[in-house]
Amino acid sequence: MIEINKINKWYGDFHVLQDVDEVIEHGQTVVICGPSGSGKSTLLRCINGLEPFQKGEILVDKTSVKDPKTDLYKLREKIGMVFQRFELYPHMTAMENITLAPRKVRKWSKERAQDKAMELLKRVGMVDKADAYPANLSGGQQQRIAIARSLAMEPAYMMFDEPTSALDPEMIKEVLDVMVELAKAGMTMLCVTHEMGFAKEVADEIIFMDKGKIVERGTYDDFFNNPQTDRAKLFLSQILD
Amino acid sequence: MFDVIGRNFVFLMGGLLTTFELAILALAGGIGLGMLVGLARLSKNPWIYYPITAYVNLLRNIPLILVIFWFYFVMPIITGDAMAPFPAAVIAFVIFEATYFGEIFRAGYQTISKDLTAAAFSTGMTYSQTARYILIPIAFKRMAPSLITQSIVTFQDTSLAFVIGLTELVRRSSIVDNMEVRSIELYGFAAFVYFIVCYTGSQISLYYENKAREVNLI
Repeated sequence: MIEINKINKWYGDFHVLQDVDEVIEHGQTVVICGPSGSGKSTLLRCINGLEPFQKGEILVDKTSVKDPKTDLYKLREKIGMVFQRFELYPHMTAMENITLAPRKVRKWSKERAQDKAMELLKRVGMVDKADAYPANLSGGQQQRIAIARSLAMEPAYMMFDEPTSALDPEMIKEVLDVMVELAKAGMTMLCVTHEMGFAKEVADEIIFMDKGKIVERGTYDDFFNNPQTDRAKLFLSQILD
Repeated sequence: MFDVIGRNFVFLMGGLLTTFELAILALAGGIGLGMLVGLARLSKNPWIYYPITAYVNLLRNIPLILVIFWFYFVMPIITGDAMAPFPAAVIAFVIFEATYFGEIFRAGYQTISKDLTAAAFSTGMTYSQTARYILIPIAFKRMAPSLITQSIVTFQDTSLAFVIGLTELVRRSSIVDNMEVRSIELYGFAAFVYFIVCYTGSQISLYYENKAREVNLI
């Protein structure tokens, strides 16, 4: 369980997160949407300690992210993260990208890490690209490898930071299919995305953020059919064009 | 006319061997230390950033020949023991070249997106693991042409160690010249040897540059 308790973050004078509260239960899929600059990505980065925050508290399985005694490296092992621009290691093959952390962090043998990687490559439909370098893969393929890389650490949680917004339209579906499959298999997921089809299919809750605040939350139907705020109505009309 | 080279060939090649030994140690140390200097130059920790930046700025603005001199004459005062020319030259070259290699690595690290580092952290890797498996190898590949160019410069610079009496190629040429007074042949030969080594090096650099381009690393 991830408990976010009234966190506040400033970049200088800019109040990027304001009293953000949220609880993500085990097995849930939460979709975060909102206009750019609303603090969605920053929120994800606070959860795994990539960014510090000044006030409030985040607990991941009762472990405080903020506590200086917390081993953030250990904590991150159980929170996978997928980025907008894939961020595969360009000097390594798909296989090497996936096996690096299990081998160096978990100290798995090469064989064990490769077995796990093959299993994941199968899951994301990329077995034939195991030896390809990122530069020779399409965006959709790179993102599926990036998902496999995160899953290789057998995380309890997966965070997605706009995983399809850098993709050509015809590649979005292949990535969303992987994410849907993951959500249906019971992974606890936190997804920053504007893909409402995805939200409809798997989201247990949708959070709408604006200017660093959560301004609406609810099920897909609540949010989509009955948005409460003008900001959310405007946002929905824009993304549904 | 070039009989002087033939008669002293073994002696001169012994000097070339010293040149190579010094260059290899200077490069191994300079590149190794340079990787860390480059990381330190991007550090957010002021206790790391400022001292290393001061060191880089100081050494990069002093002629190498003075660094060699200074090191050779000052170290005995500090340690109370005279230093042989070879180890003194190696240490002087390493601390000098590390600043140049450090700046090349820094530029290499800066080509790597912050999110790539974040991606490595998000899999549980520590900073040192990220540096070792991600940052350094990528910087190494992307900066290979500059690293080879700087290595060639370092190789040529080793001739400056003759000022503290290191009997490398140039020093040995001058020793023979003092006896036989054949400056043109002797220094011409030394220059020719440097040219062959450095030209070969630059061709290797070109090869790697093209190779890196093929896999979109540059």
